[in-house]
Amino acid sequence: MSVQLDHPLGQVPVMGAGRDWSVSVFLTRLYRDEPLFTAAGLFIALLMVPTLAAMALDERLVNGVNVWDKPFKFQFALSVWLLTLAFLARYLPRGMISRGWYRLYSATVVFCIAGELVWIGGASANGIASHFNQSNALMAVMYPLMGAFAVFLTSSALVYGLAIRANAESGLLPGMHQAIWTSLVATFVLTLIAAGTLSSMENHWIGGTMSDADAGFFFDWSRDGGDLRVAHFFATHAMHLVPLAALPAGRLSGRLTRSGANAIALAYCGFVAAVFVQALMGQPFLPGLI
Amino acid sequence: MTPDALFQLANPLALAGWLVLLASPWIPRWSDRISGLLIPALLSVGYTAVILVHWSGAEGGFDSLANVERLFESRWLLLAGWVHFLAFDLFIGAWEVRKGREANIPFLLIIPCLVLTFLFGPAGLIAFLALRAVRTGMSGASAS
Repeated sequence: MSVQLDHPLGQVPVMGAGRDWSVSVFLTRLYRDEPLFTAAGLFIALLMVPTLAAMALDERLVNGVNVWDKPFKFQFALSVWLLTLAFLARYLPRGMISRGWYRLYSATVVFCIAGELVWIGGASANGIASHFNQSNALMAVMYPLMGAFAVFLTSSALVYGLAIRANAESGLLPGMHQAIWTSLVATFVLTLIAAGTLSSMENHWIGGTMSDADAGFFFDWSRDGGDLRVAHFFATHAMHLVPLAALPAGRLSGRLTRSGANAIALAYCGFVAAVFVQALMGQPFLPGLI
Repeated sequence: MTPDALFQLANPLALAGWLVLLASPWIPRWSDRISGLLIPALLSVGYTAVILVHWSGAEGGFDSLANVERLFESRWLLLAGWVHFLAFDLFIGAWEVRKGREANIPFLLIIPCLVLTFLFGPAGLIAFLALRAVRTGMSGASAS
């Protein structure tokens, strides 16, 4: 049962008597709308437990930080990626996830994600770097293959964006609909540019100290030089940050239009371009603050 | 964090699990959750962490007894082997309790199986399997 409430997202499902919202209700909805991405996203999140335990025991370092730092970040990030898409699946055209092409495609996306995690985790278990590492025959083959996997898994943002765009019955108000689909497409395009540039270099630093030790808070971004991971981070989070920015914008202005949403998305792209150029010029992001 | 220190953590944790199993007739659901899931899972996470950290530097392997001996010359992998026993034996013990409950086997008969499983793992398992087999025969015969 759902009602049309005056809510920026549009139709909000009302669950009936008793609790309207809880973690289990939320998860049940995700499982219903996109079972594979939900299960995979939750499973990957659980991987963080043994990874954290390994981090506590391991003294080996890569780039100046614990070898398990990178697997942990990727497990977190890929879990969030999949669960975000599982959340957005409610806005896909009805029946799309049951179609043959989608089942094959989504299974391949999860396969690519699994491949990435095995590569990154396997490298860490062996005490070596995964990214930029082509020091032996196996790693030299893996690096471009993992690049291809990364592009494929990122394409899921594009596919979702275009599908949601085409869905006239998403139940979303126009401004929010625009914010969601444009930010998904932007995620794909901007990530391709940022991560593509990143992968073509020797490492993620441009000038500054070539170590993640003593680097910025949580993300280990460079404090004294350019760090291309900043642009990669913001590029990939377009799908979160643009709709989140659109929510209060809708509240303040009364009703967000498609043009308003486009403006927010465009401004965000400008921001990503700015941090990208900043890194290429060897300048740190928010120096002195992180 | 030394192997010996972690050993001192793992042993009492496993023991707690076995004690809860002994109390299972009075707290069946909690016993299943704690001894059948939580403690084996905790031990398994610890085991996995040790393997993730120390496997790549290990000498030896699984293909000959000499290579297994070489493996266990590493104190960390020796710890891992022990935690492997602790985790799996407890998991099997909890499984025996659940299956025994399902088959209505008196808990008094399950206790010796648990003791054997606790001390000598597989010996306890075959004791339970034998007990279950003969009990199934008994209930099959009395039903006809």
